[in-house]
Amino acid sequence: MSNLINEIHEGILDGNQNLVIEKVGQAIEEGISAEEILNAAMITAMAEAGTLFEEGEFFVPELLVAARAMQGGMELLKPLLVRDNVKSKGIVLAGTVKGDLHDIGKNLVCMMLEGSGFDIIDLGNDVDPETFVEAVQEKHVDIVAMSALLTTTMVNMKTTIDALAKAGLRDKVKVMVGGAPVSEEFATKIGADGYATDANQAVRLAQTLLE
Amino acid sequence: MGQKLSGKDLLFSTLRHEQTDQVAWVPFAGVHAGSLKGYNARDILLNKEKLVESLLEVKKVYDPDGMPVLFDLQVEAEILGCKLLWADEAPPSVASHPLADKKEIPTIIPQPTDGRLPTIIDAMCSMKAEIGDSTALYGLVTGPFTLASHLRGTDIFLDSVDDPNFVKELVEYTKQIAIAISQYYIDAGMDVIAIVDPLISQISPRMFTKFFTEPFSEIFEFVKRAGAFSAFFVCGDATKNIRVMCETKPDCIAVDENINMGAAKAITDEFNITLGGNIPLTTCMLLGNQQDNMKYVVDLLDKVNHHNLIISPGCDMPYAIPIENTIAAVQAVREPDNTRKIVENYTKAEIDIPIILPDYKNLSKPLVEVFTLDPDTCAACTYMWRAAQKIKEIMGDKIDLRLYRITEIESVARVKKMGIEKIPAIYINGELKYSSIIPGQSEFLAEVEKYIR
Repeated sequence: MSNLINEIHEGILDGNQNLVIEKVGQAIEEGISAEEILNAAMITAMAEAGTLFEEGEFFVPELLVAARAMQGGMELLKPLLVRDNVKSKGIVLAGTVKGDLHDIGKNLVCMMLEGSGFDIIDLGNDVDPETFVEAVQEKHVDIVAMSALLTTTMVNMKTTIDALAKAGLRDKVKVMVGGAPVSEEFATKIGADGYATDANQAVRLAQTLLE
Repeated sequence: MGQKLSGKDLLFSTLRHEQTDQVAWVPFAGVHAGSLKGYNARDILLNKEKLVESLLEVKKVYDPDGMPVLFDLQVEAEILGCKLLWADEAPPSVASHPLADKKEIPTIIPQPTDGRLPTIIDAMCSMKAEIGDSTALYGLVTGPFTLASHLRGTDIFLDSVDDPNFVKELVEYTKQIAIAISQYYIDAGMDVIAIVDPLISQISPRMFTKFFTEPFSEIFEFVKRAGAFSAFFVCGDATKNIRVMCETKPDCIAVDENINMGAAKAITDEFNITLGGNIPLTTCMLLGNQQDNMKYVVDLLDKVNHHNLIISPGCDMPYAIPIENTIAAVQAVREPDNTRKIVENYTKAEIDIPIILPDYKNLSKPLVEVFTLDPDTCAACTYMWRAAQKIKEIMGDKIDLRLYRITEIESVARVKKMGIEKIPAIYINGELKYSSIIPGQSEFLAEVEKYIR
């Protein structure tokens, strides 16, 4: 691994956004391709951050600053990735379901997915089923990712899945769900394609769903 | 043999870390309390009479040793200018953060006359007068980290890295609020002050030590000096933080199903701190059945030593938890041996035990059948059985009355054969009439009379 790639990788894990922006800039100047920077530095760093989170070494603040550092570098890379026609791993439409304002978990999942090469459309929180449906109709979406923190709002995951089915869109997308009260069993019961316990598992799940 | 301890005495002994014969039981019926009386979340979070009426029903049906008066972590935030989004079956959520765009430390300390505090304090005083002799009452206070996040929004996580001094100052402020609210609640008669801080599960022990060891220690010291017990409630996977939480010296720590009680108890035992938990809220209490709840509690009691232990739901109980599931949990706490038998009976009863049901369509007089876990030990079952006995006293020979307890395997087989899912329940001529909710006398009487030929 070149020094620059290594420095970007470490800069992300340290949450040092300024360093990451500087080193990504240098790497581009030195002619390292955007795709290589993405794959060798960014995605590996976010995967490591995810593993550290899963293992209880990283917590929400560490993951957030790592993701912020990664996003700083991504801003420089995005136009180049488009120019070079580098394909994303998939488009994920994400939101916290209707009635629920809790978005830390959803934001973490979005950031981890973005850092892993997915494109994200973030609908925010308190998203009603119709908004999910319209977004799927209007955009080419591969995965719908829903989050809920409350036992009273998690039922709206089912409402959204039902709304997708009613609009004839259910077979066109994969649906993944997560959040504190949600379980594998619940996910199966409401007809989701998958459930993840945390942001790192969400990345693995998204990859598996699109294989 | 000494006199039987009241629930409050049992809980106090547990919080004083004494050896007890029984394990204490503290159901966290927040908005769920309203569901027992047909009220929604807003009804009981805004109206003292409806809140107290609901809490008295909790006392009656769930037989708690201790119980919170109100479970709502948005009370302080609302006073400080956060807008709330209200829901029918959940506590409100914070919808706006006054410090989202400015790094200022407010100075206002909520007074007992502010926001919903007068209603809450009034309810606490009424509850103290009504059941305070026999039941320990909990005043729940929003923890300093969660309140800081209500004020600042999720940027508080980034601030903890970018501007730690700001976070320290903000937490110093929210700590002062926690102390002020604790004082109001102690003045209103609360026996236990629980500092509820779910966000603690989202940070590392290192960050906890840096920002929170001092403020939490100060709050708990204040509460203890003021003559109340102190508790530290956390929701979420705070496994790694149990030790640093213990170092702040609360009398008790309460955790949810994300935490392995055995592993957590090994740590809390080192510090001689009481541990409360952790019946799973969703999979078990909300979506499970009575057997799931009984099994979880007896397994938990088998797994951890009973000294310094409180059995509780993992956190604030979801509104729509079926009443009978909590009744099953109470039964398991009170009568673990009997409950083990019930769980076994359910398994054994998979094997067919021949049960001949009465010929319900051709009975000469109405047959009232009462299905209970055990009327001698389960409070809700006792009320149900008494209600039926009262009807029998009035009706005399005009009706037949039968009692079943599912500590007996034949009763389990009968319950299965009749397709009964919720206990306690009252059936008349084989038809379900009342499930978990105890009927009023005149209503019950009128129902029975319909069956007299």
